[in-house]
Amino acid sequence: MDSERLIAGLWCSEVLADLSDYFDDQLPPERRAQIESHLRGCAVCERFGGQFSAAVTALRRTLTEPDPLDQGASARLRERLRRELK
Amino acid sequence: MSVHAEPEDDVALLRCAESGDREAFDRFVERHQAAVFRFVRTLGPDPALSEDVLQETFLAAWRRARTFRGESSVRTWLFTIARNATARQYRRRVGEPERQDVASLDDLGVAAGWGTDSDPEATAIQQEQRAAVVRALEALDAEDRRVLVLRDLEQLNGEDAAAVLGLTLAALKSRLHRARLRFAAHLRREIADGF
Repeated sequence: MDSERLIAGLWCSEVLADLSDYFDDQLPPERRAQIESHLRGCAVCERFGGQFSAAVTALRRTLTEPDPLDQGASARLRERLRRELK
Repeated sequence: MSVHAEPEDDVALLRCAESGDREAFDRFVERHQAAVFRFVRTLGPDPALSEDVLQETFLAAWRRARTFRGESSVRTWLFTIARNATARQYRRRVGEPERQDVASLDDLGVAAGWGTDSDPEATAIQQEQRAAVVRALEALDAEDRRVLVLRDLEQLNGEDAAAVLGLTLAALKSRLHRARLRFAAHLRREIADGF
């Protein structure tokens, strides 16, 4: 990023590095508060944090359930189990 | 015909399977086969081998039902079996070194839109979202998909996902973050391309 800034004692790149832990609520309270201060003062990081969160949330919400196993694979699995588990 | 009354959960189904109840095990398989197959597809490149691994996983689950102690989730246990089954199927590849991810976080971030003004996601995610998400996920390499499937789709906690993949928690977190950034970048491109 061209215009990296130091806000609330954190560089933008440090916020970027911690985004997943922030999203997963895995940061110590002090670090979380520091990042939130940075986000309040940095529109660029705030926007990107929102985009990152939206992307991961979209992944989680839209693909929570796996596609059903296709009928052929399911039939072959059942046949193998029937043959070998006696 | 099962001699057991309607099992209510996975552990109960496994306990029935342990005592030889095939009907209970079939229901257990039915519950988990799609999730196991989704994970298995991230473990190796060969679709035919993926199906073999799926079958080997449930054969092993039947044989090892008594070893499940409920210390982790059933999915975590099944995914660990699947990973081991895959290692056997791809035995020749096992000794190969893992990919070294040398991309800088800054580069991954910029590709995902870090430091830019545009915000195409907000409106576009609402349109044809699933197809775009699927394409963005499929565009990742298997190692990235593997960690996203475990953490974001199956929602295993970090410790369990790390155990399934044989990683330290720190390594798992690092891979997860990079995989999420790459996924966000692919999703951004999907959206910029108008799906």
